[in-house]
Amino acid sequence: MIKDLLFKYQEKRQLVIALIGALLGITFLISSVHYLDKINQYGEDSEILGKNTLILQKKVTSASTMGLTKTDFSEREISKMKLEPFIEDVKPVISNNFRVWFETNDPYVPTFKSDVFIQAVSKEFLDVESDKWHWKEGEQFVPMIMPRDFLVMLNTFMNASGIPQVSDDLAMKLKFRLRISDGQKEEWVDTKIIGFTNEIASILVPENFMEYATKKFAQGDPGKITQIMVAGKEGEFGKLETHMNEHGLESKNSQVVVSRLKSIVGTLFAVILVISVVAVIASGLVLIQYMQLVLSHNKYEVRTLLRLGLHPIIITKTFFRYFLIVFILVLMAGLVFFILLKHFVDEIFQTGGIYMNEHISVLALTSIFLTFIIFAIASYRTAKQEVFSLFNK
Amino acid sequence: MQIEFNNVLPKPLSEIDHSTESLWNSKVIFESGKRILLNASSGKGKTTFVHTLMGLRTDFTGDILVDTKNTKSLNTDEWVELRKSKISVVYQDLQLFPQLTVEENLRLKAELTGAFNSEAAFEKLTYLGLKDKWNQKCGFLSMGQQQRVAILRSLVQPYKWLVMDEPFSHLDNQNANLCMQLIQNRCDELKAGFILTTLDAKDNLSFDYEVKL
Repeated sequence: MIKDLLFKYQEKRQLVIALIGALLGITFLISSVHYLDKINQYGEDSEILGKNTLILQKKVTSASTMGLTKTDFSEREISKMKLEPFIEDVKPVISNNFRVWFETNDPYVPTFKSDVFIQAVSKEFLDVESDKWHWKEGEQFVPMIMPRDFLVMLNTFMNASGIPQVSDDLAMKLKFRLRISDGQKEEWVDTKIIGFTNEIASILVPENFMEYATKKFAQGDPGKITQIMVAGKEGEFGKLETHMNEHGLESKNSQVVVSRLKSIVGTLFAVILVISVVAVIASGLVLIQYMQLVLSHNKYEVRTLLRLGLHPIIITKTFFRYFLIVFILVLMAGLVFFILLKHFVDEIFQTGGIYMNEHISVLALTSIFLTFIIFAIASYRTAKQEVFSLFNK
Repeated sequence: MQIEFNNVLPKPLSEIDHSTESLWNSKVIFESGKRILLNASSGKGKTTFVHTLMGLRTDFTGDILVDTKNTKSLNTDEWVELRKSKISVVYQDLQLFPQLTVEENLRLKAELTGAFNSEAAFEKLTYLGLKDKWNQKCGFLSMGQQQRVAILRSLVQPYKWLVMDEPFSHLDNQNANLCMQLIQNRCDELKAGFILTTLDAKDNLSFDYEVKL
């Protein structure tokens, strides 16, 4: 009866406006926190190189094209680099010196085949589980790390074939195989993707497999070392960059592009986040203000209830519960709106070849929880303050 | 439960000269279970008396003791208990909820102490001639009818003291007598006292002694 007395005869228009504002604010807050978090996480799991590790190659110039300078690394150059004080380690990136084809080998996926380029790098530079990254002759699968660009290309093919595109997780479950050949004899090897990378443009395979295939199918002279993997010492990465410039070395810049892209999209979502926080605060204030308005409209009723002997805490809790339920409904509606929006936005990202973990970000859920706590505290304090101010009147 | 006014003087009344018989600025004891008439002309502080006693205003000097406890030292819980089940009040402006029915107004108050008895309340309402108003919103009743509902509301709860601020101002003698009879019966039943403020007429009122303002 007390609830009816306090809320039944209220003008609801301002409440509806406050609720719409809060709903939009909450939806954008969850969305922006979710995507900001996902963008920051994007590619993190698949980065296989340490943060101070680079793959270097010599810059291709007109002189090198005419054969006046070399683009490969000699053993002497590699040994010399190892002596530099700012370098932790240097290892050659071994490239294939035989023909390699990559193709799908799964009944659920149409045949796709392509000439590919494979490379092997020393295991110490890779951040992969050691039990997944090994191969010896006779084993069923060759593990490989796939460039993400290759997956985008594969998805473009899937899309053109009218079949659903594949995510990182799904691609790691599909069956593929490599065909290696020296032009006369050939061998089929089943292979399995164990991870993706934005940092290396070729397919990576274990060193053992590369040695095996080179021994069996290599053509002519051993392959030249055109790329090296360099780990710089912590805090001295700038010296490595200077060294690169002085010696005409460059690194693959796709990682830079990805980082830049992440930075732009991240900034965009950060701006949306700021707007969302402002919207949530504003709508929260409107809700609190509406509570004050309801209390003000009910001044006579509240004062009379207090005079009759109703405890101010009971009235405070009545207001608090009412607005808490309203806010919980707004949060739930915001979550539903977000899930619908997420479905739509994820599709846009996937169309662009960006596959993100589909789970709702823990940070986004935390932001809802924090918003709820802040609103709960603010509304309880407001209700208590207003009700107690009428106790002795 | 004894109520004691010790040199109480509300600020708005501090400019007025009060007689030696006046409650204000002197020591007056309201003995437990007594029926007391508080008689004064307009502007002498009848409503102020009710409000200071019930803690609705604190702008006064002196002390009010309820069962030897100074009201200035009462905490929220103690005030709530006092208003809920020790002192029942008929305010001059009645303090009914116009949007609620008569039955809801009675129930709301009585339920605070778990004392609501629907049949007994309806019987009393019938006694006061308001049988057909049970489900009617209070806002649609005349002032006289509202006054009777407010009196009835003050009676449906347990109390030690019933404080009434000009409760019969809109009632004719017949209805005032009916109300007075109901009040007397209820006070007898609860072994409680009452303090009744009035402007003048006291022919139809039964009381133990009179206090002046």
